[in-house]
Amino acid sequence: MLRKHAQHVVLIHFPLALFIAGVVFDFLAQKTKKRGLLDAAYYHLLGAAIFALPAVVTGIFAWQFQLDGQKLKGILLMHLVLGSTSTILIWMAWALLVRARRKLPEGLPVFRLGLETAAVAIMGLTGHLGGFLSGVNGPS
Amino acid sequence: MRRSVFLASLLVMAVMVLGGMVAEHGSFVASAQEKAASTAEVKIDNFAFGPTVITVPVGSTVTWINRDDIPHTVASTEKVFKSKVLDTDEKFSYTFTKAGEYPYFCSIHPKMTGKVVVQ
Repeated sequence: MLRKHAQHVVLIHFPLALFIAGVVFDFLAQKTKKRGLLDAAYYHLLGAAIFALPAVVTGIFAWQFQLDGQKLKGILLMHLVLGSTSTILIWMAWALLVRARRKLPEGLPVFRLGLETAAVAIMGLTGHLGGFLSGVNGPS
Repeated sequence: MRRSVFLASLLVMAVMVLGGMVAEHGSFVASAQEKAASTAEVKIDNFAFGPTVITVPVGSTVTWINRDDIPHTVASTEKVFKSKVLDTDEKFSYTFTKAGEYPYFCSIHPKMTGKVVVQ
């Protein structure tokens, strides 16, 4: 039953949405210096980090059970590499935000925002490839 | 006497010629059947197998060619055959030695389905 159901395709939207929303809150917190916004960013990034794990696991399961663990190439390989990079960046962004929260009100290290921006870009590219692979648009 | 021998010889020659013609026709038919049974092609494009249902004689080899921009696979529902991941322009072939119906799908996009009918 699980074999023909796209668990990875469904689950991946949770870390994507949570992370992007968290980054937006982080940027707003940086601009307005409001603690509440920073807390919102923290919990969103925490949720993204947590939900990234089942998304990764189901992706690996799809590779192992639907594709028999074959050596990947082309779009599939790119999706794997970018997806792995995205997961690492999500966890890095969350970890940096944890440290940054403790330093308020001295200020937040600005390089975090650059890292988060890069993570959003890489996640966007990963999702774009995922959309191609899943055939979400179907036959044209 | 000579006339009957002559007629008998003609008859034998006629039988030999006719027999040769039949044999040649039979081998021609057999080779034509062999050619008909040899290959068939299914194109994978636009997230679909074309033709969706293909009917071939026993002993035929069906070749799937991925003409799509996206990787696909060809996997038998009854696990009779399964391809590796096929990138654009890559092929997978399978020879069907038994009559029957062989439904298959793409394991990456399970809603892509097709069937090979072997008669």
